[in-house]
Amino acid sequence: MQAIILGLITGLAFGWILQRGRVCFNSAFRDLYLMKDNFLFKAITFAMALELIAFPLMAQLGWIKLNPKPLNIVGQVIGGLIFGIGMVLAGGCASGTTYRVGEGNTTSWVAAFTYALTATAVKHGGLNGLLKWVSRFTVKITPTTSANLYDKKVGPTLATALHINHWIIAIILSAILLWYVFGTKTTKRPDAKMSWKAIGLWLVPVAMFGFWSSYISGRHYGLGITGGWISITEMYTQGKMLSWEGAEILGIIIAAFISALLAKEFKFRVPKRGVAYLQTAIGGVLLGLGAVLASGCNIGNYFTGIPQLSIGSIIAGVCFILGNWFMSWILYGRS
Amino acid sequence: MDVKVDKTIDERGEVCPVPDVDAKRAWKSMKPGEVLEVLIDYPLSKERIPANAEKAGHKVLAIEETGPSEWRILIQIGGNKK
Repeated sequence: MQAIILGLITGLAFGWILQRGRVCFNSAFRDLYLMKDNFLFKAITFAMALELIAFPLMAQLGWIKLNPKPLNIVGQVIGGLIFGIGMVLAGGCASGTTYRVGEGNTTSWVAAFTYALTATAVKHGGLNGLLKWVSRFTVKITPTTSANLYDKKVGPTLATALHINHWIIAIILSAILLWYVFGTKTTKRPDAKMSWKAIGLWLVPVAMFGFWSSYISGRHYGLGITGGWISITEMYTQGKMLSWEGAEILGIIIAAFISALLAKEFKFRVPKRGVAYLQTAIGGVLLGLGAVLASGCNIGNYFTGIPQLSIGSIIAGVCFILGNWFMSWILYGRS
Repeated sequence: MDVKVDKTIDERGEVCPVPDVDAKRAWKSMKPGEVLEVLIDYPLSKERIPANAEKAGHKVLAIEETGPSEWRILIQIGGNKK
């Protein structure tokens, strides 16, 4: 019960920021390439730069143990590309699709449904053979560098692989990201509800509270999306208990709904082209397949994995962008 | 706002980022001085389309609320269209 309440609180805060800040990685990556617009990309990078310091600090204080995702080059490259392609077709990444469910986008309902169903099938159901095959390449290690910060068995990080103290790499990487964030020009978006700095800043306490509250509930990881949708699917079809992450998803949808309602942005949006439903349904399938093979979606990898220096998350993150750019080019780039 | 509209695109209900891309394609096909009307119901596009239009050298004449989460954006095509 404690896990559900804490997950729900985290989700409510997260969903509010996702809706107000329109935090969708699909838009962030695609705008960068298609519109030469870095507004959202900067917000996300700013949050990551601060989390790079916040997470090891929490581990140093003994509040959590870092648990970076395992390395699986095959899964993270193939799954990452599939996920990147999927988010363009679905019209949103894992977080974007989830918060838009609460905004009344009926195309996102379809995408979320096929995403949840497929992720569950790959994780525990009929498509599990794919995950089993990919799992042969999974690398987990017992950290010898900065071991005090980590769980016992974790995915390799830049720190453990290079045998350099976690703090040194985290500070250097954070400084590079901050230099990019503040040292380069940012696209103006005068009508935006939240500035990119506010979005980045607000995401950090939510990610910290999420990591801590999920950790004390027995789930050694921070914000995520895919596992939550799997939990909801299993609760619905098998009567299983809702997990911290499942409650987080419900919180996101509820908060996005309330936030959209208050901002007069809630509407049942129905596309005139019926084929849009088919497109988002296929997109959702690819999101589910890609996220489980890549051991996480964009939130799990960008907001929780990369700030822990997980090499696997970095590989998945790069492939998300490449898949996104490839599909954006196919659908929208060629005029 | 009452102006002569030369082209209208109705992007209500469309999947992200179709409204943005269609708007961009529309103003590329138009002549300087002409007015493009974009109907949308997607909040992110309401923020992004005007910003992109300004960046491409066009003039945003108005962003009007026409209903619950529905907007009408009027864009006048600029001289140095991109």
